[in-house]
Amino acid sequence: MKKKTLTVVQPYVWLLPSVVLMVGMILIPIISVFKISFSEVGRSGLVRGLNGVQNYLDIFDEPVFWHTLQNTVVWTVVVVGVSTVFGFILAMVLNQDFRGRKFVRAVVIFPWATALVIQSVIWKYIINADYGSLNILLKKIGLIKGFVNWTETANSMFGWECWVGIFVTFPFVTFCVLSGLQSIDTSLYESAAVDGASFWQKHFKITLPLVAPSLTVSTVLNIIYVFNSFPIVWTISKGAPADQTHTLVTYLYQLSFTDGKGGHAAAVSVIGFVVLAVCASIYMILSLRGEEES
Amino acid sequence: MKRKFISVLLCAAMIMTMLAGCGGGGSTEGGSAEGGSGDGVTLDIIISQYGNYTQDWWTEFEKNFEEANEGIDLNIEIVSWNDIYSVVNTRISSDEQPDILNISGFADYVADDLLMPAEDYVSDELKANFIPSFWESNDMDGTIWAIPILASCRALFCNMELLKKAGVENPPATWDEVLAACKAIQEEYGSDIVPWGLDISTDEGQAAFSYYTWNFGGGFVDENGDWDLNSEENVKAVEFIKQLYEAKVCNSAPFTDTRYPLQDAFSAGTLAMMIGPMNMVASDSEVDYVVADLPGEKIPLGVCDQLMAFKDEEAGEARTEAITKFFDAFYECETYSDYMVYEGFLPATQDASDNLATNAEKYKVGGSDDATGDSEYFKTFCAVLPTCQFYPMQKAEWMDVRNGVIDVEQQVCEGTASAQEALDKLQESVAK
Amino acid sequence: MTSRRKPWQTALLYAFVVVLCVVILYPYFVMFITALKDKKEMYAIDHILPEVWRWSNFAEIWSAAPVFKYLINSLTVAGGATLLAIICGIPAAYALARMRFKGKGIFMGAVIMSQMFSPVVLLVGIYRMMVNIHLNNTILGLILLNAAFNQAFAIWLLRGTFVGISPEMEQAAKIDGCGTVKALVKVLLPMAAPGIITTLIFVFINAWNEYTIALTLISTDILKPMTVGINVFYGFNFIQWQYLFATSLFATLPVVALFLMIEKHLVAGLTSGGVKG
Repeated sequence: MKKKTLTVVQPYVWLLPSVVLMVGMILIPIISVFKISFSEVGRSGLVRGLNGVQNYLDIFDEPVFWHTLQNTVVWTVVVVGVSTVFGFILAMVLNQDFRGRKFVRAVVIFPWATALVIQSVIWKYIINADYGSLNILLKKIGLIKGFVNWTETANSMFGWECWVGIFVTFPFVTFCVLSGLQSIDTSLYESAAVDGASFWQKHFKITLPLVAPSLTVSTVLNIIYVFNSFPIVWTISKGAPADQTHTLVTYLYQLSFTDGKGGHAAAVSVIGFVVLAVCASIYMILSLRGEEES
Repeated sequence: MKRKFISVLLCAAMIMTMLAGCGGGGSTEGGSAEGGSGDGVTLDIIISQYGNYTQDWWTEFEKNFEEANEGIDLNIEIVSWNDIYSVVNTRISSDEQPDILNISGFADYVADDLLMPAEDYVSDELKANFIPSFWESNDMDGTIWAIPILASCRALFCNMELLKKAGVENPPATWDEVLAACKAIQEEYGSDIVPWGLDISTDEGQAAFSYYTWNFGGGFVDENGDWDLNSEENVKAVEFIKQLYEAKVCNSAPFTDTRYPLQDAFSAGTLAMMIGPMNMVASDSEVDYVVADLPGEKIPLGVCDQLMAFKDEEAGEARTEAITKFFDAFYECETYSDYMVYEGFLPATQDASDNLATNAEKYKVGGSDDATGDSEYFKTFCAVLPTCQFYPMQKAEWMDVRNGVIDVEQQVCEGTASAQEALDKLQESVAK
Repeated sequence: MTSRRKPWQTALLYAFVVVLCVVILYPYFVMFITALKDKKEMYAIDHILPEVWRWSNFAEIWSAAPVFKYLINSLTVAGGATLLAIICGIPAAYALARMRFKGKGIFMGAVIMSQMFSPVVLLVGIYRMMVNIHLNNTILGLILLNAAFNQAFAIWLLRGTFVGISPEMEQAAKIDGCGTVKALVKVLLPMAAPGIITTLIFVFINAWNEYTIALTLISTDILKPMTVGINVFYGFNFIQWQYLFATSLFATLPVVALFLMIEKHLVAGLTSGGVKG
């Protein structure tokens, strides 16, 4: 009897430290954000009491919110998409044997290892049209005659932000895929070569399926991280011009801390959470199903 | 099996205790006056970072104050302008407001009934010492809610070497002359020199709005003090901003360029003209510049930041007395004069203005070993101050208007709305 | 894949790699030369390299701000968070990999869900809670938060590693008289070393780079980690680009060095994590 209770309880004991940590540090704040999203919050930040779904209705009435939602989707898809494709290609290249490979691998680590705030500040400094080093460099080389205004429109500003996003995201994909590639048995390729498979066939038939699990890991994590990424957009544009370049996270930060609309900000967080949670659930269902099948 | 179970349990318990232990006794800093242990009072104070050496000055002040006032413990935090609104906001929503706060704007805190009226803690001598217009500028519905910490005023800065070489002899006095001067500089230097500095970023775009609208004859409010954002003059002013942007005579990214890199560029000699605070040129700059009146109506913007004290229902008289003592010590003529020179701002008290107009050389500039104040400078600018106009910060909608006018400037420059449309819309949303 | 390349393929490979390195290193080059410029040259537009190489900038940052203290704080926070995340993560991952119990699926789901909220979103909630347990403005608070926000990744990656290792070895050890804990420590953990190292690095980097929580939570200057501390160079009136970038370089190098040291394990570790997500 005793032994039986033991085996039943044991797994939960193993989970306990982790659960305590996460409940204490994450769940409690989540609950308070949900509560604030249904509360009236004063400009100073003071919570005045519940007001139902008013915050949500106000937000849905706000054109900037819809534009921001659209931006967030574009931002996530572009940054994760391009990083994944490029990171994958780069991993294939780095998996080749060539002189200086070690050096290149070390270089690829740099963007990953630098704090996002620092990355964003340096890129903002580089692309500044009036004294930024990109313009000076291009002019010295002779590629441009006069200085180019790199961030003239909202779209070009947002484009640069995506560029920085990609710049810091692709190394993670590369290393995930590299790890997948190294576990592939080279004899598979040799036998495929014997069968007369072309370069592309080899990669689509052998490489892709084998690194798929690594790619899934990196893609899901990246979707979450990129969707929630704050420092890049905040440092480079703060949503300017005219709130055209916000993503949900910077938008809610602005709502909360410069516009004095804490309730609206909490509502936006909850909406963002729901969007991500739906995506993650779909992924969970698919991957668990996959696991059961195998 | 049992033994293993126990060891697992022990492991878990250990981690739990570790976590719980941290929760219990980990905190050494940040406790506010809540405990009221014994007869000591702790004041949590948040001060804005005015310069690179703000921290040092306040550390010294804290030391001196605590030595002179036993039983009062100051917990002074210096927060940069970049973060101060988020920090204060989060504190308030967590019910952890500071006792004393130095920030710009107070109407939001009054609206949520968080502040003590200034009369409750400002001693009579100190009250009499404030320059009346400053004291009254913090009046909201008949009550004074905050006290002025310092003032600054904005003027037009021109790099005369660059202007003269482009054939412009004098600083421009009208907006047409501004445009003409900009074009002359553009012709002379191409993209090597930026003719005009423009900041319509979310950082301080409302300052630009006041420079242009006031000096085109408009402004935030009409003569009755009601919002009047879509006046004909304001439309003209905003269209002028757009003209500067479209003629490419200003910095290329006014949406995101804050005043600070522009000031640095001016000090470095790569920006020819800009409107900025009177202490904006770096002390080691080699630029040959003049400070001129703003073009048009010649109305300078005065910026006045405040100090305010928050309510604390549970705390007793001792706290209020401590706050009074803090302000008396801070505004004491020598200390306060020293701080004004240290940060390069203008004083809000009578005795310090008089003192600095003759004795500024006695005090040191922050972070420097030999640079001292300049009496002439204080004399000139203290005299200009009465002509300055201030933001209508005491109006409850101020923050909405502030964010709104920045949005208008950005929309108009980007071309998504005309000046008339955008201002009409803003006026409608504010006046409703 | 060591099959022989045609010459044009080799040329293409090198061209690609060279362009890549130039693009990646460019910002660091700019950071480096800007860190060496005199303040007056910051806005000069006619030359790229400094006219006067101010190596002294690198020395001045240490006195211009408590940069050394920031560095120590960052190390403490990142190190502490990593340790805590692993200590809590290993038993949880082990239970998820090796045991059958009710609510396993729900727990896995909850773990991923917890990762959906970014700290920015939860800022107000986090701050309020930390005030309640008196951990605002403490390094310990940052350690706990960073460990918690990295739990999901740690558990996920470690579980993947454990699942990828056949349980036979542990069973053999158990037959030899080892308990579950001993089997875990003696047999499984050494075999899972690459996965554990990967997790360590990942958590370390995330904690090292964390910005928003520290920004709001820490108010005392000498308790600030590097990412927040460098804000002093963004003063009210001046931005000291040269110090900002000099300090940034110091903040980046330890992480890069760490990465380089364990790159081999890193690559091996991510595989096992990925086998069964």
